[in-house]
Amino acid sequence: MYKKKQGLGGWIATILLTLYCLIAVILIGNMIISSFKTKHDLLFNTFGFPKEFSIENYQQVLIKDSLYRNFINSIFLTVASILSLVFVSSMTAYGLARYRFKGRQSLEVYFLLGLMFPIQIAILPLFVIMRTFSLTNTFIGMIMLYTANMSFSLFIFTQFFKELPSALHESAIIDGAGEFTIYLQIMMPISKPVIFTVMTVSFVQIWNDFYLPLVFLAKRSLHTLTLAIYQYLANFLAYWNYVFAAATLALIPVIIVFLIFSDQIISGLAAGSIKE
Amino acid sequence: MECIGLENFKRIFFDPRMSRIFNNALGNNFRYMAIAVFVFIPLQILMAYLIHIKIHGHNLFRLMIFLPYVISPSIIGFFALLVFDPNIGILNNVLLGIGLNQLVSSWFGNPSIAFYLLVVVIGWNGIGVGMVIILANMKNIPQDVVEASIIDGASVWQRFWLVELPFLEPSIINVVVLSSIFALTQFDIPFIVGGLNGGVNGKLDFLNLMFFRYTFGDAYFGETALGFGAAISVVVFTIILCIAILQKLVFSRLFKR
Repeated sequence: MYKKKQGLGGWIATILLTLYCLIAVILIGNMIISSFKTKHDLLFNTFGFPKEFSIENYQQVLIKDSLYRNFINSIFLTVASILSLVFVSSMTAYGLARYRFKGRQSLEVYFLLGLMFPIQIAILPLFVIMRTFSLTNTFIGMIMLYTANMSFSLFIFTQFFKELPSALHESAIIDGAGEFTIYLQIMMPISKPVIFTVMTVSFVQIWNDFYLPLVFLAKRSLHTLTLAIYQYLANFLAYWNYVFAAATLALIPVIIVFLIFSDQIISGLAAGSIKE
Repeated sequence: MECIGLENFKRIFFDPRMSRIFNNALGNNFRYMAIAVFVFIPLQILMAYLIHIKIHGHNLFRLMIFLPYVISPSIIGFFALLVFDPNIGILNNVLLGIGLNQLVSSWFGNPSIAFYLLVVVIGWNGIGVGMVIILANMKNIPQDVVEASIIDGASVWQRFWLVELPFLEPSIINVVVLSSIFALTQFDIPFIVGGLNGGVNGKLDFLNLMFFRYTFGDAYFGETALGFGAAISVVVFTIILCIAILQKLVFSRLFKR
């Protein structure tokens, strides 16, 4: 359709974009390489390859600074939140898409508003509520917050369930299946691709989230990886060789997930924001 | 708890010290919003279009332009320090290395450019999101219309401006509204790079940062102040609501055909 041969303008664009993309490659590459340098090596050989590969930084951050605990915190919080989010939002979406009841429309609009307004706006009432129920400094509270922040996944699920033929539902009822059985044994298996999209996008967002843990997880033993790295940054010059290792540890899982599931993440995010 | 009426709001708007902080933060939010709408969105449209017309390496570009979005804000902050640190930063070392000594700067320590550097960093982090939203919309442009315009002899520019751009209206409106809200709720990266007090001369201060400082920090006369914080967040929310409604109105006027 479009011209196959690329003119001069196209080549200039290719070169400029390549240079732009190199920024990320250089920054991430440099971070990974530098994480294997000793502090002395880093000081005099800031950008080259390490003279000798040392895993001293990793030993220091993981074991002595007990970053492994933050790592476990991050993994636990992310996985538990995603499971809870997928369960609650898919059930809600199923109800919204399947049943006709009074106020369904306004309920749907209410949930969609969350796509527009970030959770930051409501942080203060949330904080007061969480404190009243002593949920600050607990993972349960965080999981509830991440689950409640479900506009995006709810939207994706609702779109999907609405497109399913109602014959599917009806025949299951005729076969004598209860509502929960239909949801669990028919709806869940066929919405695997949607579940996948929701999971990967939420993984990136919850793993990287900075604001909610900052406000609600003040206790040091509960810090997530992003918070732990922030703590290092506060004393950047003293510990910058450790930051490389800590940041690498935090970045690797999310980069791997992104590189494998980039299509789901990118198209999922785009689908979640085109309404109208 | 005692009711102090509109005292907190009065303090935000009329207390000489507080109103200066507030106006400065609000100004930064608006300045960032203007840059996001008038610089980043055209850039996002351009990048999306280049990928859409499949220039060489388009698949890789889509991936790599989006990639910074999945990096956590504290690592983005780390990268920013790494590049722009006056002593050990990559940029100053490169500039010294190629002999451009007069360009060496203290970057985030320099009040006249700190804000723009921050905008660049935030933009680098988030530009891919708007791009993929617009790109997804481009895939929905009916191809027969585009082909017809090619047969009718439209140039590349005409095809883009007159045929393809009007189809992108929904996604562009969306990105404008989402970017504006994002601009008005800016927190993570300014907080990590500039610290709780908003950098040198408050150049990196934003409304949300001010809110956080007085609510959870101890910057409000040495104590935390939920009430004062609530007042700030009410103001922020009102501003966001007004901007979002205003934008919807403007767009519906603009595109009424």
